[in-house]
Amino acid sequence: MKRAMFFVMIVAVFVLGTFTAGQAAGKVLHIYEAFDTEEAKLYIEAFEKETGIDVEFVRMSSGEVLARVQAEAANPQASVWHAGSNTSHINASIKGLLAPYKPKTDFELTDQLHAKDWTWTGFYSGAIGFVTNTKFLKEKGVNAPTSWDDLLNPAFSKNVAMAYPYTSGTAYTTYATRIQMLDLDKALDWWEKFDKQSIHQYTKSGTGCIPMVGLGEVAVGISFSHDILAKGVNKGYPVVMTFPKEGTGYEIGGLSLIKGGPEPELGKKFIDWCFTERAQNLFQKYNRLPVNPKAKVAEGSVTLDQVKLIKYDHLWAGKNKGELIKAWRDRIGK
Amino acid sequence: MRKEYLVLKSLVKMFGSGKDAVRAVNNVDLEVKEGELVTLLGPSGCGKTTTLRMIAGFEMPSSGEILIDGEEVSTTPPNKRPTTMVFQNYALFPHLTVFQNIAYGLKIHRESSKNIRERAEGAMRLVGLEGLGDRTPHQLSGGQQQRVSLARSLVMEPKVLLLDEPLSNLDAKLRVSTRLEIRNLQQRLGITTVYVTHDQEEAMSLSDRVVIMHQGIIMQIGTPQEVYAYPVNRFVADFIGKANFLVGFIETISSDNQIVIDILGVKFQASMKPGMFTKGEKVLIVIRPESVTLEPKKPDTLVGKITEAVYLGSQMVYIVGVEKHTLIVEVANPQEHVVFKPGEEVTITFQGKNLHVLPYEEAA
Amino acid sequence: MTGKRHELIGNLRLLWKEPLLLLSIIAIFYFLFVFVISPIFLVFKTSLTIDRQFDLSNYQAVFSKRYYYQPFINSMLLGVLTASTGTLLGFVFAYAITRTPIPFKRFFRITATFPIISPPFVVALAAILLFGRSGGLTPFVEKIIGEYSIYGLGGLVLVETIAYGPIAFLVLHGVLQAIDPALEEAAMDLGASRARVFSTVTLPLAIPGIASAWLLVFIESMADFGNPMVISGNFRVLSVQAFLQITGMYDLSRGSTLAILLLFPTLTAFFLQKYWVSRKSYVTVTGKPTSATIKQLEWYIKLPVYASCILFAGVVFLFYGMVIYGSFQKLWGVDSTLTLRNYIEMYEVGKDYIFDSLALSTLATPITGILGVFIAFLIIRKKFAGRGVMEFVSMLTFAVPGTVVGIGYILAFNQRSALFPFILTGTAWIIVLLLIFRNMPVGIRAGIAALHQIDPSIEEASTDLGATSGRTFRKITLPMIAPAFFSGLAFSFVKSMTAISAIIFVVSGRWNLITVAILGFVDNSQYAQAAAMSLLLIIIVLIALGIIQMFVNRIGKGARTTSIVE
Repeated sequence: MKRAMFFVMIVAVFVLGTFTAGQAAGKVLHIYEAFDTEEAKLYIEAFEKETGIDVEFVRMSSGEVLARVQAEAANPQASVWHAGSNTSHINASIKGLLAPYKPKTDFELTDQLHAKDWTWTGFYSGAIGFVTNTKFLKEKGVNAPTSWDDLLNPAFSKNVAMAYPYTSGTAYTTYATRIQMLDLDKALDWWEKFDKQSIHQYTKSGTGCIPMVGLGEVAVGISFSHDILAKGVNKGYPVVMTFPKEGTGYEIGGLSLIKGGPEPELGKKFIDWCFTERAQNLFQKYNRLPVNPKAKVAEGSVTLDQVKLIKYDHLWAGKNKGELIKAWRDRIGK
Repeated sequence: MRKEYLVLKSLVKMFGSGKDAVRAVNNVDLEVKEGELVTLLGPSGCGKTTTLRMIAGFEMPSSGEILIDGEEVSTTPPNKRPTTMVFQNYALFPHLTVFQNIAYGLKIHRESSKNIRERAEGAMRLVGLEGLGDRTPHQLSGGQQQRVSLARSLVMEPKVLLLDEPLSNLDAKLRVSTRLEIRNLQQRLGITTVYVTHDQEEAMSLSDRVVIMHQGIIMQIGTPQEVYAYPVNRFVADFIGKANFLVGFIETISSDNQIVIDILGVKFQASMKPGMFTKGEKVLIVIRPESVTLEPKKPDTLVGKITEAVYLGSQMVYIVGVEKHTLIVEVANPQEHVVFKPGEEVTITFQGKNLHVLPYEEAA
Repeated sequence: MTGKRHELIGNLRLLWKEPLLLLSIIAIFYFLFVFVISPIFLVFKTSLTIDRQFDLSNYQAVFSKRYYYQPFINSMLLGVLTASTGTLLGFVFAYAITRTPIPFKRFFRITATFPIISPPFVVALAAILLFGRSGGLTPFVEKIIGEYSIYGLGGLVLVETIAYGPIAFLVLHGVLQAIDPALEEAAMDLGASRARVFSTVTLPLAIPGIASAWLLVFIESMADFGNPMVISGNFRVLSVQAFLQITGMYDLSRGSTLAILLLFPTLTAFFLQKYWVSRKSYVTVTGKPTSATIKQLEWYIKLPVYASCILFAGVVFLFYGMVIYGSFQKLWGVDSTLTLRNYIEMYEVGKDYIFDSLALSTLATPITGILGVFIAFLIIRKKFAGRGVMEFVSMLTFAVPGTVVGIGYILAFNQRSALFPFILTGTAWIIVLLLIFRNMPVGIRAGIAALHQIDPSIEEASTDLGATSGRTFRKITLPMIAPAFFSGLAFSFVKSMTAISAIIFVVSGRWNLITVAILGFVDNSQYAQAAAMSLLLIIIVLIALGIIQMFVNRIGKGARTTSIVE
């Protein structure tokens, strides 16, 4: 009996050994993935089917990806960073962690959609919106918030959820938006009030607040419109989406080639693919706004021209993230 | 002349360190002849078990040498020494059968299975365990377990057999019969044996020689007769058998080493080794309970008073008070003698040849 | 040559004559250094380093910024509260089982220890399903106490008490059982009332055990990561903050500092427990459970004790039952139609996770078990220089929170070093090694306990008859401690399958674990899916325990058969 167990163990060790060895074979593309697993699988499986290239991805939030890429700088374990708001990509680019690559596209990428040195490119976008639970609105007899200051309404007291600006690209974009609207000190003043009066809790991920609103755990959440649609409205939760009339910020989804990654050529193929009409059409399922003009936009999606946008400076937001976060943490104390 | 088979030279074992260091074994020298059974005897804590374990290899000596058949073995690991040990609680392998227990060491030495079977069965016959080979230890009585332990050690044909209080877990009657068996077996096989016990009756009945130990030091080595009749100091006298101690003074010493001793006012004659005592010296008198005679009180004699009288069937034991001393007196065959009662005064006599004279020592 | 030196050299010489033994000792020291000491040390070093320079500003920041020291205070507060309630609960239960004639003891015992085999944060999940804003029981509770929130300190204490109270129960059960009933009988014989017996005999003898239990639960609470991730709300705790600092702010330096901050209380508690409290124990665990004579008890004792036990058992059933119920719901909180969809989805999305968890745990567990028993054997039976160090280090991971170990492993194995020229991040090996060294103390403790019960003269007899250390270990020691060995295996497997706080740092694309997937579901408020996956995990663990118990029964001849749940 003991011999058998021993034997099984040896076999298991060998099997696993070959698995890890096979990993290094090189015919597999390794990606760090900021989309949710379910969504990522949609795109990745389509890519695999079309190109026959095998992909292995690790799912993390964009903050985590940045941390991982930085930690692995000496020996990167992945070749491509897929999705996540471009502020994190910008940050990585400044730190010299990304390799420049101009994707082969059948349309012109505007200045907004790529770094000057092509270390990152933008391949989808979305505006920040509010998501509110309709049952709550009916019970309390209030309207959904349509301005930033509406969030301070006592009706929503301790009933708003969003992510920490330092763990989520979504939340950071929200924060940077307020700063660009009000300037730093006034924005922090507003946020202090917001935090004390309205916040129920901060979540780790940007989209975590959406199902919370859907379930009635909180009344209001702040997230990107595509996420609100995909995870809130389309899932059948009793929620409604609104936008602040003073103006709102937006994200550009980033895509980049990791410097020194194990499969640069496969990575480039992936990046090229992401801009194709076929790939961008897939965004319909998740209500993301494509950048390829030929791609279709999903029904019910709110396109950027339908919402009042501020002039959001991604570069500035990316460059100054460190100090801005510090300022937020010092003031808010969380 | 049988050769010196097991030799311990200046063996020391210390435990602890610095000021709290304890010398459990303090410079022990011993030579055991081939085929001899030597017993290490002493109260608990005297160092006998530690010494045994050093011979076996389970303790590392702090200094000193151990030689077996001429070879220095103190750096040899226990599994490579030509010794086997019978443990106090037998240490049988609970998950193996009697046969497997006994065959265990043989298997390690890669004997052929035919050989193993023969030798193991032979060992079982030797100790009287035939037919029990398939039992497991918990199915055996205490006495049977003890035999398995013995068989297991004997089957290895060791150069030195070590026994660590092997009988202490048996009841009194079994103890007596088993020790005789062990002794017979040992003599038959001629195995050099070191035996450890705190029971002096056991030691006396088994041994060719007895080694009495106290606080890590050897007090005396000798045959059972020697240590009983001629103990070298108070401890040995007190430890072996029962002893009465009296104080005496050397009155005269003659040229042929005959001495006259004054004990409690009565004069006795005895002999001494040359130069052992000086005139007027205070000495310790050892006299065994069976050597004291009691008679009804007579004038001009040493008189004592009976404080207790205990009837044990085969003997009477009296506690007699004499001046400041208390004597234990054993009288065999009480029916043949006058029986005294507590409170009676009696005359106490003993003979000079039954005295043993030692340099004076206070009681410990 | 002085005695001590002579002995030391003598011992070394003996070792030299058994080269295999010597080699294994050296190998184990090497492994302990590379996989236990070095990662922890690196965390410490990183906390003192900013941009490759020695810098104390991390510690300055930690003590001055509220958003750093508040979580520390919170964690401590949580720890103290949980330890107290958990120990109280454990004591009542242990008392019920050892000193009262409560019926269905086996049932209560199993219920009390059940939370140990489930991943701890399943309790938090159940709490949300029951008492969250859209919880099943929330309307009723709100009628009684008005509006409330399960998120935060209150919820955490409730959840952690349920999750870790069983640990206190196990310790206290052992302690109460080991107290010689003759002592209590003697006291009664001399005229003491039951209350007096309790306060003057039972309780004083049990106090070291109570202190031990308290400290153990305290450590578990401090190190808890899964539950706070789910249910802490605005009540921020250190383990989560350290994690966020590293994964959210990409700040290894500060994150390490927070992790070190977490380490101090747990290490202190560990030392207190091991070197002070356990020394004061008057109760010797002889391994022979004496069944205390149970007398007729007055009703005012029976009632509260029985009631508490039934209440707790009820709570356990309620919580886990809710998880089962929730797993079949279509969309938790919105659509409560029952469906199997979640299980199908979970299979599609999560089958890799299931396979990975099983494969890695199955690989790690036997290694943990054998290594643990072997190290226990070395520590207890062999003499060599540095033995005390080996014992200390191998128990160390017990006291170190998973967060610290996880961070340490990514720091240590992300680059080649002189001592260990392999990069392990992203591989299966880093997960397996993490599991092995994290759970080793379990195997070692089981091994030590079992070895204590074996008369050393049995192993000496084997040596005396010519066996090498290896042979003695294999043929004599191992078979005799087989039941304890399998117990240790079972426990290791459970801990491997339910690990989260260290593992979350080292999972990669190729290898991922069920617990991480569950947390991901909870993050997304996909409670039904989380429940389904949790349930699956529990079932897998139960099956594995069953298999191991079967093994134990087969090998049971001669040795006492022990139930693993004990």
